[in-house]
Amino acid sequence: MDNIAIKFQNVTKSYLISRMKYGRFSDDFGIFLGKLIGKNRHKTLQRETLLAINDLSFTVHEGECLGIIGRNGSGKSTILKLISKITYPKSGQITVNGKVGAFIELGAGLHPELSGKENIFLYGAILGMKKQEIKGKYADIVKFSGIEKFIDTPIKRYSSGMYARIGFSVVSFMDPEILLIDEVLAVGDQNFQKKCLDKMKRFVKSGKTIVFVSHNMDAVKLICSKAIYLDGGKIKMQGETKTVISHYLDDVKGSKNESQ
Amino acid sequence: MFIHLKELIKFRELLFAFTNREIKVRYKQTLLGASWAVIQPLSLMIMFTLIFGFFLKINSEGVPYPLFYYSALMPWTFFATSLSFGSLAVINNGNLVTKIYFPREILPFASIIAGFMDFLISALIFIVMLVIYNVPLTINVVYTIPIVFLETIFIAGLILFTSALNVMWRDIKFVIPLLIQLWIFVTPVIYPLSKVPEKFRPFYMLNPMSSVVENFRKVTVGGLAPNWNDFAIALGISLILFIFGYKFFKIKEKVFADVI
Repeated sequence: MDNIAIKFQNVTKSYLISRMKYGRFSDDFGIFLGKLIGKNRHKTLQRETLLAINDLSFTVHEGECLGIIGRNGSGKSTILKLISKITYPKSGQITVNGKVGAFIELGAGLHPELSGKENIFLYGAILGMKKQEIKGKYADIVKFSGIEKFIDTPIKRYSSGMYARIGFSVVSFMDPEILLIDEVLAVGDQNFQKKCLDKMKRFVKSGKTIVFVSHNMDAVKLICSKAIYLDGGKIKMQGETKTVISHYLDDVKGSKNESQ
Repeated sequence: MFIHLKELIKFRELLFAFTNREIKVRYKQTLLGASWAVIQPLSLMIMFTLIFGFFLKINSEGVPYPLFYYSALMPWTFFATSLSFGSLAVINNGNLVTKIYFPREILPFASIIAGFMDFLISALIFIVMLVIYNVPLTINVVYTIPIVFLETIFIAGLILFTSALNVMWRDIKFVIPLLIQLWIFVTPVIYPLSKVPEKFRPFYMLNPMSSVVENFRKVTVGGLAPNWNDFAIALGISLILFIFGYKFFKIKEKVFADVI
């Protein structure tokens, strides 16, 4: 349990707000020209930055399950993106030891025109599985998803719940050392949600490291031993899951009362 | 550079999975399926034969017009399709780029391989045409392999720039089709290289596609060995473009998820 799986040291991530709209050559070229001439004629253009993660440090040990909670926009998903190297920090250091499997959003990577079967292979490859490996697990994946009947149908004809199922089924059969999960339980019926939770619990038991982002406090409580409460890109509290959650819920209630 | 190639090899399964997807999806819900790969060069060939061959009587150096045009349109179509699909490869997969980590160059590279598959399909028609016109191939046809290799390097180098620039400035999306339209006129597709005035040749050959198309025609319907001097110049330019393109792409890749 002493081996470090994930370590953040004073990590800061900022987004350029003007970059959040579509980039246009004329804008960038205008700024470039402005610099060349030596005056800044584009004062109207926003160059504000947004600090999504502000000087954040934490450690996750091997085999631990960390829950991350907080309001919308507090930087939860950004942390997962930083861990999986989708985006890079502005400053600070991130160390990740082990193969990362990210289950960040349902349906990303599935192609609507392809059938369920084709998508299982495609998604498996995206998640870093070998073709041979997927072939071996294919029957189990289909069984777990519970959509044997529609496996040759293009998934654009699937319901959103079925989308979620096929995605999660593939994920639950991959074999990463570190698993990142972001809000996967929002879709899917009760039955499937229970299946997912069971699967996640098994992941924890088998000694895998998990970082779990969710608004579903019951699920976080059920799976995670440790939790971080994020607020405005900073850690407001970290520690044992129950304590952190009750603190967070108090805060939410408090702000509700204020607004009333 | 070699680190990147090594990582690319590690992710080769994903490259094939994306190629597979691109091929499958490209002709989904089309009536004619993969025959579109043939229809494009074939219809251009008929048009060119009619207009530039029979109406304008362009000198085809003794080669029947349909063969003269088709032998140039094969490498040209490979170039044009790969460039137009590949330049969009990153932005069209925005949902993947913002959610899952993998070396991003896999996306444009998959477009090139898919374009190459189309090229192979169009080669079948070429063989049929050679039989009909009773034009025998010589041993020099083996030189199509280094020529197509050179073309692939050139396309890859170009696409690494355009697909990355497209993420920042969507203007590129409009530039590419225009560029392809104009480019065909500075490449000996419609006319033979001998029509280009001697004094412009050194500049004309700076376009690697000139060397590709002219040499491809020469080793197939011409039955001759390629012009190695032109080949070497084109290869040099393409390799430089590829190396710088890869560097550029890898630098820009880090902000893809934030900007896209």
